[in-house]
Amino acid sequence: MRSTQDRARDFDRRIGRLLIVVTYVAVVLLTIGVVLLVAAGISPLAGGPQLDLGRLVADLVALSPATFLWLGILAVIATPVSRVIAAAIGFARLGDRWMVGVAVAILVVIALGVVSALAIP
Amino acid sequence: MDVGLTMLVGGFAAGVFGSLLGLGGGILIVPLLTLGFGLDLRSAVGVSLVCVIMTSSAAAGVYLERHTANLRLGMSLELFTAIGALVGGSIAFFIDQRALSVAFAALLAYVAISMARGGGRDTDEDEEGESDAEHAAHEAVGSARLRASAETAGSATVGTRAAFLASVAGPDYQVRNLGTGIVGATGAGVASALLGIGGGIVKVPLMHLAMGVPLRVATATSNLMIGITAAASGVIYLLRGEIDPYVAGPTAIGVFLGATVGSRLAHRVGLRYLRWLFVVVMLYTASQMLIRGIA
Repeated sequence: MRSTQDRARDFDRRIGRLLIVVTYVAVVLLTIGVVLLVAAGISPLAGGPQLDLGRLVADLVALSPATFLWLGILAVIATPVSRVIAAAIGFARLGDRWMVGVAVAILVVIALGVVSALAIP
Repeated sequence: MDVGLTMLVGGFAAGVFGSLLGLGGGILIVPLLTLGFGLDLRSAVGVSLVCVIMTSSAAAGVYLERHTANLRLGMSLELFTAIGALVGGSIAFFIDQRALSVAFAALLAYVAISMARGGGRDTDEDEEGESDAEHAAHEAVGSARLRASAETAGSATVGTRAAFLASVAGPDYQVRNLGTGIVGATGAGVASALLGIGGGIVKVPLMHLAMGVPLRVATATSNLMIGITAAASGVIYLLRGEIDPYVAGPTAIGVFLGATVGSRLAHRVGLRYLRWLFVVVMLYTASQMLIRGIA
């Protein structure tokens, strides 16, 4: 039977690996976007298009640089959020209700940020 | 030279120097984009937040794998940095950009002066792993260690708070002064959202000096917290259209590569002259940001 300390260390290791993997996914997406941007001869100061989730798949197929860049940026912002979600699940498995509550509260604050950004003119 | 390549190289330089001097990229990226490429301050802050999340996530992942970061303490404090970032990210759009430029100039000047004061120290201290940012942070807190000891002695009570402090303690250290930690973390979140910095300059001394966390653990845990702090305000900047993907892409890739190279060079480069060069550059940049703010 594994000790609580071993389980906690294993938990830390998994969360750490998740952070590294998602960061590298973001780096790959951003790199593809930058290569496409250079190939298309677009200046970074030209002003990129706003994020349009409705056109995401079509723009991906069309190898639009902005779409890869947006996916990379979303992956970057999602990295710490995914870490909090993974930690919440892990703490729930360890039976640590307090830390599950902390993780959920962090996610609520992020959600409030989304709501305030959309609501405030 | 092509603008995209210049941005990538600029981001790379910011990543290398930031990593060598223990500073987050944000303090270098915002002036690079505003003074170097003419972006407005809010857009530069939005891009800087993306870069800050990227570098801190990779570093935090390594720290967690090595069991250096305190995940429980980091998550408990980042709840409050996230609240601060939510507040800062919301009010940033109502504050005149010139006022933000002046605030950024003050931050640069403060870091440069702290760095210059650190330059007179014995170099052995640097070899023990204390970065300039950490030293600057120490300067900020001053006598917090003495105050913390006094407060801890007077508040040895049992209950929820004591149980919580016990639960976030490390194998060879106790955590104290929760109230100070909460207030400081909230302030770090506001500063991060307003200025596009990671906020390590507040979090490291807060945990190390005020809360009794060993420096190495405080640095690692601060890196972990930076991701959520910057993400909380980053979503606000994203949804309000203040992140330009064409600028964020090359800059973030440059910063990421630079930080990777910088972390490998850290033990091979003599920091003495680099630090003084940087003090001059930061003071010059501070003056330019100040002129921009008051012009």
